[in-house]
Amino acid sequence: MTILNESGVPDVVSPLHGLSGLAERLPDTLLVVVGTRADAHLVQSLSVPLPGTPVGLSSQSGGGFGAHPRIVFVVLEPDEKPSGGALASRVIEAAAGFRRTELVLLVACRSAALLGFDAEFEAELAGRRLGLPVRALAPGAVGSGALYTDLEDGAIRALVEMCPSNVPGSGKERSFSKGSLLGKLPFRGRTGQRTATEAGAQRPVVLLGALPGPQEELATELSRVGVEVAGVVPGAEANRLPAIDEGTVVAAADPYLAAASRAAEERGAAVIRSLLPIGVDGTARFIQDVSALAVRGANEAGRARQVWESLEPLRSRIRGKRIFFTGDTGLEIPLARFLADAGAVVLEVGTPRLDRRSLAAELSALGEDVDVVESPEWRAQLDRIDAARPDVVVASPGLYVPLVARGHLCRSSLDLLSLGIHGYEGARRVLELFARTFERAEKLDTLNL
Amino acid sequence: MKILRGVYEGPGSHGILRVAASMSGVQAVLRAHPDEWYFPALHGAWTRTGEPAPVTLSPVRNRSDGSWTPGDLAHDLSSVARHRPEAEALIFARSEAALLSGEGAPILALPENPETGRSPKLVTCEWESFGIREVEAADLGLAELVKAHAGPQPKSPAPTVNLFGPPVFGPNAAAEYAEVERALGLIGVSVNVRAPLGATVGDLSRLPRAWANVVLCREAAEAASLYLQDEFGMPRVTTPPVGSVGTGAVLRAVGQLCSLDSKWMRRAVWAELARTAKLPWYTRLAVPETFRGRRVALFGDLTYTTGLGYTLAREVGLEVAWAGTYLAHLEKDFLFHAGTFTDEAFVEDDPEAVAARVEETAPDLLIGTHLEREVAGALDVPFLPLCPPVFEHPFVERPLMGYAGSSALADALEGVLREPRTGTREKSETVARAPEWTEEALEELEEIPAFLRGRARRLAEEHARTLDSPAVTPEILEESRS
Repeated sequence: MTILNESGVPDVVSPLHGLSGLAERLPDTLLVVVGTRADAHLVQSLSVPLPGTPVGLSSQSGGGFGAHPRIVFVVLEPDEKPSGGALASRVIEAAAGFRRTELVLLVACRSAALLGFDAEFEAELAGRRLGLPVRALAPGAVGSGALYTDLEDGAIRALVEMCPSNVPGSGKERSFSKGSLLGKLPFRGRTGQRTATEAGAQRPVVLLGALPGPQEELATELSRVGVEVAGVVPGAEANRLPAIDEGTVVAAADPYLAAASRAAEERGAAVIRSLLPIGVDGTARFIQDVSALAVRGANEAGRARQVWESLEPLRSRIRGKRIFFTGDTGLEIPLARFLADAGAVVLEVGTPRLDRRSLAAELSALGEDVDVVESPEWRAQLDRIDAARPDVVVASPGLYVPLVARGHLCRSSLDLLSLGIHGYEGARRVLELFARTFERAEKLDTLNL
Repeated sequence: MKILRGVYEGPGSHGILRVAASMSGVQAVLRAHPDEWYFPALHGAWTRTGEPAPVTLSPVRNRSDGSWTPGDLAHDLSSVARHRPEAEALIFARSEAALLSGEGAPILALPENPETGRSPKLVTCEWESFGIREVEAADLGLAELVKAHAGPQPKSPAPTVNLFGPPVFGPNAAAEYAEVERALGLIGVSVNVRAPLGATVGDLSRLPRAWANVVLCREAAEAASLYLQDEFGMPRVTTPPVGSVGTGAVLRAVGQLCSLDSKWMRRAVWAELARTAKLPWYTRLAVPETFRGRRVALFGDLTYTTGLGYTLAREVGLEVAWAGTYLAHLEKDFLFHAGTFTDEAFVEDDPEAVAARVEETAPDLLIGTHLEREVAGALDVPFLPLCPPVFEHPFVERPLMGYAGSSALADALEGVLREPRTGTREKSETVARAPEWTEEALEELEEIPAFLRGRARRLAEEHARTLDSPAVTPEILEESRS
């Protein structure tokens, strides 16, 4: 494996596009977007179906157009003086319009910060007055190499910070009462201290990320080896969050949950640094490492072999196919690792930024002939794809149509985000998705046009 | 600070990018933060032509990572000039966040392209600011490009005109140009240049060859056509070619400017009225009762709102209850033109306020943008999304302008007005006979913030109707909001 930093401008759709999907995944949560008209326009115009995304994915609002009903824009005028509390009052006004709001996420766009608004402060003020947790997210805070999934990371981080903190080891879910700002618990200052599994007591395991279906599948797989999952973030209910503290084992299911994992670490939880539960071997290693930290070691080799065998018919349809990832979501590296294991040839894995520390296990598991290109230049990628003529390109939305027009077979990267790629079943879904893609292309190619 | 459910217009930079993406040979350099990058995805979704968006991002970075990392503006501009041989002009746009961070417009000489041996022209938009939104910026951006390229030219030997129409992403944009070009062809006038959609940089320099400028959409080419009028003495025709009257007016004005034989012109128009233009035929076929006393409300941009308003009021004979636009910078023009067919004309940029007006009026037909769809659905008002922004982009485009467009309008009207009048009356009566509100429910409604109240009331009344409840109770209000 070689890592090349191209220092280019990758094609990554603004993370704000993920807002509608986020609203869907976070129940009873109101998303207040604070920014200028440009930000409102961005969120709104990207809620039209993007090329290569399946029907119904980006038009949850029902009307086919417009942002999700639980998204509200607070549009700032550029000449506005950021008087303290004005934004908070707007947030309160907006929240009053919605029933059953358990959590308000204040998505403060870059322009809000540039105009001098202190989103953290306003969120806290609004939270105090509303008696509800209000959290500020800053989608533009990451320096270079924004990922499409940054907003999701930020939202999960906010949830992690709100998780209650129990006596270590009890591992019970506790619903927090309205009105207390649980996220404001004092920092405990015992980071990274790994309290060992004393007296064989199981340490509670909390899963971060993944869609509800795969979350359940992973929990089932873990319970098979004797690990009970104490909670998932985001869960099905906004006001029931699992406890995260020194005794907890936190397992992030997605590679891009860097901020969320860091927040868990700051609370003293043990964060698993392993392969991600993507693909067969990834899932096996993940389960093994989670169980090693939570109860006792378990061996997943047998189960993995069994799954690989059951996937054999699908593998034969993928084998030898050449795959190119343009890279925008952050899922590329584990996916490439899995597809290479399944017999595909991965030509290039683009990634807008590379967190070498949290992806160390993934990078070392990546096959030898895979090129990772950090911060790729999208025009150069188009040329490389033309030169290499891969069998399928996992493309970002901006490159999807140009690539299809150049005669390449494409799948949108957002498609894979919404597929539920985690766990053994997820591995099957990934292979099926590519097999379907090839099958349809072959059928269309036989037509005599 | 305002709570909005949506916006009609994007930022100025979006308008500039739309103009750049409409033309070939123009590359846009967008100075913005990496997380403001969404134009290519939108471009792909809208155009579906396969051409990558001609936009390069020059990312504003918090720190400089070294001279070769994109982010240094002068370097990024030079690199586009050097590496993109197809770029004959570079237009520079700044996102709102970039404007807020105080990014200035660059002054520099661009290097030569090694392939062409020429250096592209750099067009900067010094006027970029917050007050200048998408539509106005597109208009001014086109004018900047025209100013940079148009030069004195001998007039074409035969009469020609330039067509100025909507930029890319406009609904049915290409079809509108094509239909007007076809209609002009019937009177023997050919088109010199279509701009901005499909124009090349070379076309821009050839603009002054034409005898006149036909402006299909004033909001898209007001500044450019005025510049050509002042600088090259080119007359312009600004009537929206909507409906058979509007199209006829445009053709007659062009005919006059090109000194065409009026008898011959009339024959061409009559032939077209007999063959293509079905709107006059529809209005004569349908019984007067289809239209009498029916009230239509219009909301949208300048061209389509005034063009359709005039057509519906005069040609079709509907009553225009009101007409509104979100284009605040064209307020005077809009109020003047809308005043010819309605008593109530206004400017508004809050979709919820427009929805409130629709609710108050309960028109028999609503013509608007996509943001009016929800209120029309909630009130069960027949709705036609004919004014941009429209978020439908069919593969087959049908014009709304010209004679063929008048037929498309006739089809659309027949579809929504066909229902027997009694049916509509019942419907409008249901709207009028809104369920009563109990005291408690009213109190609860008052607690809902103003910007959401209209929607909440509509939903509750709708819910009460489906339940056949004579009055809206607090329970019904609650249920409807879940």
